[in-house]
Amino acid sequence: MTETDIDLIGGLREQSPKAQKLMLQRYGNEVFAQVARLLPSTEDAEEVYQDVFVKVLRNIATYDAEKSSLRTWISRIAYNESVTWLRHKRQTVIYFEDHEGGAEKLTDAEVEETLGHPNSDTVQLIRAALKHLPPDERAIVTMFYYEEMSLKEIAYVTESIPTTVASKLSRTRKKICKIIKMLQS
Amino acid sequence: MTEEKINALKQMDTNLRDALKMDEAERAPMPADLNERLMQRVATQEKKPRRIVIWPWIAAACVAGVMIIWLTPPKQDTPTDVVVAENKPKVETPVVDKVETPKVDEAPKEIKAVKAVKRISVRSEEPMLAQETTTEEPVIAPVVNEPNTALAAVEVAKPQEKMVTLTERDIPITRPENYKYTPEEIALMKKQANEAYLKWVELEMEIAKNNLEQTAQNK
Repeated sequence: MTETDIDLIGGLREQSPKAQKLMLQRYGNEVFAQVARLLPSTEDAEEVYQDVFVKVLRNIATYDAEKSSLRTWISRIAYNESVTWLRHKRQTVIYFEDHEGGAEKLTDAEVEETLGHPNSDTVQLIRAALKHLPPDERAIVTMFYYEEMSLKEIAYVTESIPTTVASKLSRTRKKICKIIKMLQS
Repeated sequence: MTEEKINALKQMDTNLRDALKMDEAERAPMPADLNERLMQRVATQEKKPRRIVIWPWIAAACVAGVMIIWLTPPKQDTPTDVVVAENKPKVETPVVDKVETPKVDEAPKEIKAVKAVKRISVRSEEPMLAQETTTEEPVIAPVVNEPNTALAAVEVAKPQEKMVTLTERDIPITRPENYKYTPEEIALMKKQANEAYLKWVELEMEIAKNNLEQTAQNK
């Protein structure tokens, strides 16, 4: 943890407006993106974003620097708030579910070729496939590939264990390939 | 899949990373005034006096109170019938079982009884115990001389004993008024003691006489 983070946490615990503004500047965009990725509309994301930071300011006294960084802790609150919001709203969104187990039949070589071999068409197909993933799987993929979070950090955010996160990532990769094949056919 | 393998795949899955980058780049940016709105919301929440909801606590306290009253056992658990049964008056068996004519042997016993009574009277002279419990019954333990009067006394006493609970106070020897004897009583007791002593001497002389006669006959 950097010295600025320690100062920031101290300021937040003293309810300093300056520290609150600094926190929003530092982590605001990231949190909004995370929330907007999980929720269907921007309006919902704005509402949840506010709830997240209200909760952060209210519970800053319970933050334990030994367990995680401030960024990961805020990310965990954002993830939980978004998932809770989705559960409460009960919006009907259709996602791809591999009930037949077709994705598991794909070989590792097939998956690596689809996701690894540079191809602009495949990139567009992957973007389309990502929209068919359930929000929690999409969030894990984004945290791992885009936000460069470690498996341990993702496990902390999703309240899981690194092994589970790894197996979820593996399944999601195969699922993306399966969706791409379905879209191609 | 192991953690190392997954981390290795992160670098290999370029298409997936590019797709995510493009998605994030196209995502709608955060509204500029969102942080201001958030700060206003935080400020208004801080200004609002925090309401303390008391009514659930009051309700819980009431329920607890009712439960305590309901579950507390009554102070007097034992029924009144039992108490009445326990307080039955004790009926003392009459002291006089046998009606005997006075013998010479009884004289020393009476003397002993008198000595004992005198010793107690010396020990404590202060007024003891309630006077209200004193009854009008005869004070001294009955020394029955005549069978008819003794039986009559027992018959008279029986119905009274059923009703009255005897306590330690009712024992004649513990009554304060019995600690001292009148001069007449003392003179009477001395006279009886002398008579008894004389009778005892006569008896001893008779026994000795008989012994001598028997010894003479044996010889």
